[in-house]
Amino acid sequence: MDKTDVLQGTLALMILKTLDTLGPQHGYGIARRLEQMSGDMLRLNQGTLYPALVKLEQQGWIRARWGASENNRRAKFYSLTPRGHKQLTAETERWTRVSAVVERVLKPAGT
Amino acid sequence: MRWRIFGARLRELFRLRRIDRELGEELETHLSLLEDEYVRRGLGRAEARRAARLDLGGLDQTKELVRDRRGFRPMETLAHDVRYAIRLLAKSPGFTIAAVVTLALGIGANAAIFSLVDAVMLRPLPYPEPQRLVSIWEVGYKSGARSVVAPANYADYAQRARSFSAMAAFQPAGKNLTGDGEPERLAAEEVTASYFQTLGVMPAIGRPFAPDENRDGQDDVAVISHGLWQRRFGGDMGILARKVRLDNRVYRVIGVMPEGFQAPSDARGSDPVDVLAPLVVPPEVLTNRQDHEVDVIGRLAPGVSLETARAEMTAISESLAREFPTTADTRSALAPLGADQARLVRPLLLVLLGAVALVLVLACANVASLLVVRSISRQREIAIRFALGATRRRVMSELVTQSLVLAFGGAAVGLVIALWTKDTLVSFAPASLPHLGRVALDARVLTFTTCLATLTGVVFGILPAWQVSRTRPTEVLRTTDRSVIGGWAIKSRQGLMVIEIALSTLLLIGAGLMLRSLIVLNRVPLGFEPDGVLAANIALPPSRYETPQSKLEFFENLAARLAAVPGVQSVAFANRLPLRGAWSSGFSVEPLAGQPETKPQVVVGFQSVSPGYFEVLRMRRLRGRLLDPADRTGAMPVAVVSEAFGRMVLGGAEPIGRRLHRGPNMPWITIVGVVADVRRYGGLSPVEPQVYLSAAQTEVYPLPLSELAVRAEREPVALAPAIKAAVWAIDGNQPVVNIRTLDETLSLRLRERQFQTLLFTLFAALALALAIVGVYGVVAYAVSQRTAEIGLRMALGASAARILRWILAQSLTFVATGAAIGLSAAVWLSRYVRALLFEISPTDITTYAAAAFVLMTAALLASYLAARRAVKADYSCFHKAL
Repeated sequence: MDKTDVLQGTLALMILKTLDTLGPQHGYGIARRLEQMSGDMLRLNQGTLYPALVKLEQQGWIRARWGASENNRRAKFYSLTPRGHKQLTAETERWTRVSAVVERVLKPAGT
Repeated sequence: MRWRIFGARLRELFRLRRIDRELGEELETHLSLLEDEYVRRGLGRAEARRAARLDLGGLDQTKELVRDRRGFRPMETLAHDVRYAIRLLAKSPGFTIAAVVTLALGIGANAAIFSLVDAVMLRPLPYPEPQRLVSIWEVGYKSGARSVVAPANYADYAQRARSFSAMAAFQPAGKNLTGDGEPERLAAEEVTASYFQTLGVMPAIGRPFAPDENRDGQDDVAVISHGLWQRRFGGDMGILARKVRLDNRVYRVIGVMPEGFQAPSDARGSDPVDVLAPLVVPPEVLTNRQDHEVDVIGRLAPGVSLETARAEMTAISESLAREFPTTADTRSALAPLGADQARLVRPLLLVLLGAVALVLVLACANVASLLVVRSISRQREIAIRFALGATRRRVMSELVTQSLVLAFGGAAVGLVIALWTKDTLVSFAPASLPHLGRVALDARVLTFTTCLATLTGVVFGILPAWQVSRTRPTEVLRTTDRSVIGGWAIKSRQGLMVIEIALSTLLLIGAGLMLRSLIVLNRVPLGFEPDGVLAANIALPPSRYETPQSKLEFFENLAARLAAVPGVQSVAFANRLPLRGAWSSGFSVEPLAGQPETKPQVVVGFQSVSPGYFEVLRMRRLRGRLLDPADRTGAMPVAVVSEAFGRMVLGGAEPIGRRLHRGPNMPWITIVGVVADVRRYGGLSPVEPQVYLSAAQTEVYPLPLSELAVRAEREPVALAPAIKAAVWAIDGNQPVVNIRTLDETLSLRLRERQFQTLLFTLFAALALALAIVGVYGVVAYAVSQRTAEIGLRMALGASAARILRWILAQSLTFVATGAAIGLSAAVWLSRYVRALLFEISPTDITTYAAAAFVLMTAALLASYLAARRAVKADYSCFHKAL
């Protein structure tokens, strides 16, 4: 999947969800998780991932702390803030609603 | 949510470098983790690394994408440009200092003048909702003259008008404060109870007046200023229980105004009002609509416009004119209070603002001229940048940034100059400028200066920047010949030079007109000699000195005591002294036998004077005799008149021997002498007929005596303590105020003229200096660009003198063009300075010629010096080359 195919809002939602499930993660961890979950359908290059992380951080939904990576290098670990948690709940709800509507519209009539 | 991101970006702005470094590290880690993953899957190190890179996309590209999200790119660019500009400017300190100093003078002068104008007429008045306050006055139906309001009319205005939420009347009434220490003359004001509500300011302690305290007998209450409370009563919190003695009458203090309160009349530049007392209008005044006595202010009701209020007041005046056809001879007029207070000084301030703006334009022209040369030297560099793909917009914004940096540098230095000169400016300013106390370099002045600096930077920066940004790289890079672009530089600089000459001609003419006016003004004969005379005001309170006789006795006693003081040449007293006041009254002249009475009543000046008056003031006797000590009550009532009396009242007939009286049952006064005319208020005031009565004939016209004048043998000011001592030897409770030499009072009267002349001369001098520097620079540059041509001419046998003449003739063309433009602009603008001149036409040919002459001489001298340097240069190398 190309990066242009991942809508910015959707990517943000997926990142928030990932951090909610796994707890603090560095950028690589987030990318790997999204790849796995999407069954390798979603390959994120850095140019897509990091600007999205910056925006989430600026909005105050996630925060970053320095820590050590698995190969013992300095890495930034992102975690959900309380406000980010609220945002995730609200966005999930909205997404479910919207996708339900879309699904109903797309379903052939009568079935 | 958007502002949250904005805030975050703003904070990031200060740590951009660190953020960038950290981002690099973070991306590296990410890359290495992926690389490790590939290694685990069995790839070799190098291969794994390559694969990881391919997966993740370009590292720098990512960094750029993230940077776009962080901070503000345009601001980073700006910060970069600013740093670059500062580095470049620091490399050529000569140019930078010249430009910054030039701009600092221009911007500093503007900031200083603006701070003055802002305080005097732009800043809102210090009252709540000041835009609702209006000043109300009256205009004679026939005379068209402005006067204060008749209390009878005020009562009707206040009662009938619906456009105002409150209206108040007040009049100055200085009072002597006695008891507890030295007697003091206080600036006091009698006001209606509505005064406080109208201004929207209540006493900080105590209460305002109640309406029934505006009645006789109830009016022994006073509200005092914070200043007086602190100064005289030590800020005593029990002040409301205290009584004060004012003009020998006991008042209860019922309130203290808040700190910083300014009475509207303080704007006149007199001493600030310290005491407010209830205004009591006597019943006979309330029926007389010709007795104009009180100042009136009103507060417009919410939502009522000035026009509505004006229409209503006009309607009220018209109905009053119908109801009282014989006495209501004035109509009402109104204007916003602030504008009304500044009405007399507005033309002066506007002209000053215009002049100082011209100085700044000149400074801009000078700096633009310098920048043009500078931009030539950068032409090659900029051409290369274009060739490498820089956009025109980018290059231009960088060049404009550079001029903005210069402008802000100039503004910063200019503000320091303004800060230094502010106090001097205020101390020279005439007291007729209201609210001088608020002149300050505050946020308003800073904002103004910032806007001005931005505008300045763009104005002088845009022309060179535009030209340079049009550089065609191929053209510039192909040739080594600088004159391709140098030619344009010479032309544009010559254009700027013409502007500079025109502007400084304009300012020189302005200064010249004002200087000539001041000279003419100082030569106007006053009819008396103010130098060497010390005057003092001794306002005897009527409650203590009830009869005219008791006042006369006081002053005769005082004069006798002072005459014995060493150093005193002569002593006089009067109701008013020239430069310090006047009194006028109507009267009738006895017709000559057999002729009908032509003019029933004429108004002229009436002064009650002691015999020494003419001697102290050195007034010239023309015919007949002066007053002498024998002209006392009981003797025949006599008067001395001024020359204008015969000319303007008697139609040129001889006044001596004629008789006049002020009314049918008043005594006849015989004219016994004629003295020279005086201009009572200095050279600017007209000659008015005067009648001098003998102060000792109190039954003739008991004008209250209050002024003392002493002619000193040497230094008049040294006599001040002697005057006070003499007064207090007679009455220890009598304040002596306004002790000033007549010279000082005269110069106070001329202060406005001196102020404008001084500033204009300063601006003109600055303009001249800038223009000369500009001309020198332009000529020197033009010559340096033509080294080859000059060298060639000299090699072909032209003499140095001939070359000099050739260069001078060229610059003369531009100087003359500039001067011609300046002269025509001056003719066109002259109407704005008419009000500031005295007996000099605003198109005075002598001044114009002199200004043009001074300018052209100076400009040619500058051209000569610049050209001579060039011609003296060594051309021998050139010879060899040929």
